Amino acid sequence: MSSTEQGTSSAAPAEPTTAPESAAAPEVPESFYYVHGKDKVVHKVSAGALQHSALIHGMISNLGYTEEQAKANPFPFENIDGDILQMVVDWCNQHKGKPTPPEDTNLPKQKEKLFDLVLAVNYLEIKELLTYCCKQVAMMVKGKSPEEIREIWMIPTDAEDEAAEKEAKKRAGKEAAGETAAAAGDAK
Amino acid sequence: MQLFKYPYLVQNEILDNMKFSDLFMFSFVSKRMKKLIESSSQMQRFKIINAIKYDHLDEGTFVCIPVHGFPDNVIQIAERDDTENDYFQLNVPGKMIDFRISYEDNKYLPVASYQPDERETLVASIHDYLLDFFGDSVEYYWHAHDYETPIPHLQNLIACLELNTSEDILDMENLENFISLSPVLKSIDMYISNVTAPFSQGSKFYQTEYIQTCQEEPNLPDILHHFQGRQASVEIVRYNIGHVIEFVNAWKSGEAFDKLEHIIIEIILGRYRENEILHAIGAKHIDSAKKPPTHVLPKVYRDMAFDKDPNTDPITSYTYVVRETDNRMASVLVQGRRFDFGVWDKTEEEFLRMME
Repeated sequence: MSSTEQGTSSAAPAEPTTAPESAAAPEVPESFYYVHGKDKVVHKVSAGALQHSALIHGMISNLGYTEEQAKANPFPFENIDGDILQMVVDWCNQHKGKPTPPEDTNLPKQKEKLFDLVLAVNYLEIKELLTYCCKQVAMMVKGKSPEEIREIWMIPTDAEDEAAEKEAKKRAGKEAAGETAAAAGDAK
Repeated sequence: MQLFKYPYLVQNEILDNMKFSDLFMFSFVSKRMKKLIESSSQMQRFKIINAIKYDHLDEGTFVCIPVHGFPDNVIQIAERDDTENDYFQLNVPGKMIDFRISYEDNKYLPVASYQPDERETLVASIHDYLLDFFGDSVEYYWHAHDYETPIPHLQNLIACLELNTSEDILDMENLENFISLSPVLKSIDMYISNVTAPFSQGSKFYQTEYIQTCQEEPNLPDILHHFQGRQASVEIVRYNIGHVIEFVNAWKSGEAFDKLEHIIIEIILGRYRENEILHAIGAKHIDSAKKPPTHVLPKVYRDMAFDKDPNTDPITSYTYVVRETDNRMASVLVQGRRFDFGVWDKTEEEFLRMME
């Protein structure tokens, strides 16, 4: 598991520390990269752990960074909350080089955390973790009535959908009218 | 957590992890949700399965997806239980229906409930909903396991009866009534040890396309006289050469069994005397130096949850008989306790040419 440190918005983050990696020491020294989320806390993660993320793996595969270069250029994921990125990094470290189990029971139980985790994992393209998360989201509505499902997943009613659609149409109509008026003005 | 804030692919992945029963409830949340299911890969899940089964049992009718070995229940239709107080109403187009979610054997299941006089209309509403949702490319089977309530006449519904009873006396009148009020049956799977009388000669029983039955009463080989369907597997207790000869002669003369494709007549006690039978039915023989073609057909009916084999038992035989009226031929195989009879859609000449 990686440890983290409070970073700053500057390009040169402070020295992060690294937690012990898996017991089997690789013959070739492993390369590390650095990522941070919205909170600027920098996480040092091995390339092996980052392989879970198709997005990051694609970004680093041709970089050939030295340790110093990597440290100086952490990957910024400003759209991901710090605690969510921490969860993702932890998961990648825990499952580094291991076959993924059929289930993962360590996912957050709170709705909003899970919601953010799904968005982050989808963005980072971590397929196995996305599958676990989606399973967990699906489990939330197991055995629920339609009204309960609506509450859990905040699904609008038909009436609300219709009202929103009307509103969107009205707005689009106004915008179109505005554009026409502007075009007419330009023509004059 | 707002489901619609997820990208479409994530929404789809979530739906992929939902059980059919949860998807069914989900489809009632809003029109937009129903559209999401219909436009997602979930419909592919159903298309692969290609069938929905109404399993009508004592405790109610279970609508299930007949996945091999593990039928996956979608909903249960049952009489309202007034000791339960957690009902909620859903608008199944055309009807407000009381539902509750039951929890048994670690499984949740929506239960659509009816008052005694509402059963038919409720079943029709649910069926219409399923038809609208899954479309008419899916096959809808109704499996009755008793003969108390006739199978409803609903669009695209395939009627089947599975009857394994050890009752002291089979209520023949009620069974006849059940069959006459139900749609023509696609399949009957009937193991009854206490048939006291044959079905009436004009019974819709004989119009069933596929019959699998065991008749312990040796004097009632009525299926061998009146069957009008396509495929059958009949077990009879004792060997009686007369039954088999009568059957083959009726087919050969064109008097009966004009739709017949395949039949197995198996005896429980004793064995067939092959030469005696073949001689008596006037069987013809294929030159032993040739290799006879194998008769095999898609099964008219099979229980998708338990029967993996889509085809009839193959018949490869050197003996055959010919129908006088159209010169069509049928392979005949007599082995041990089994008599197999497979009708080809070929004349004798066409059949013999296949071996040249």
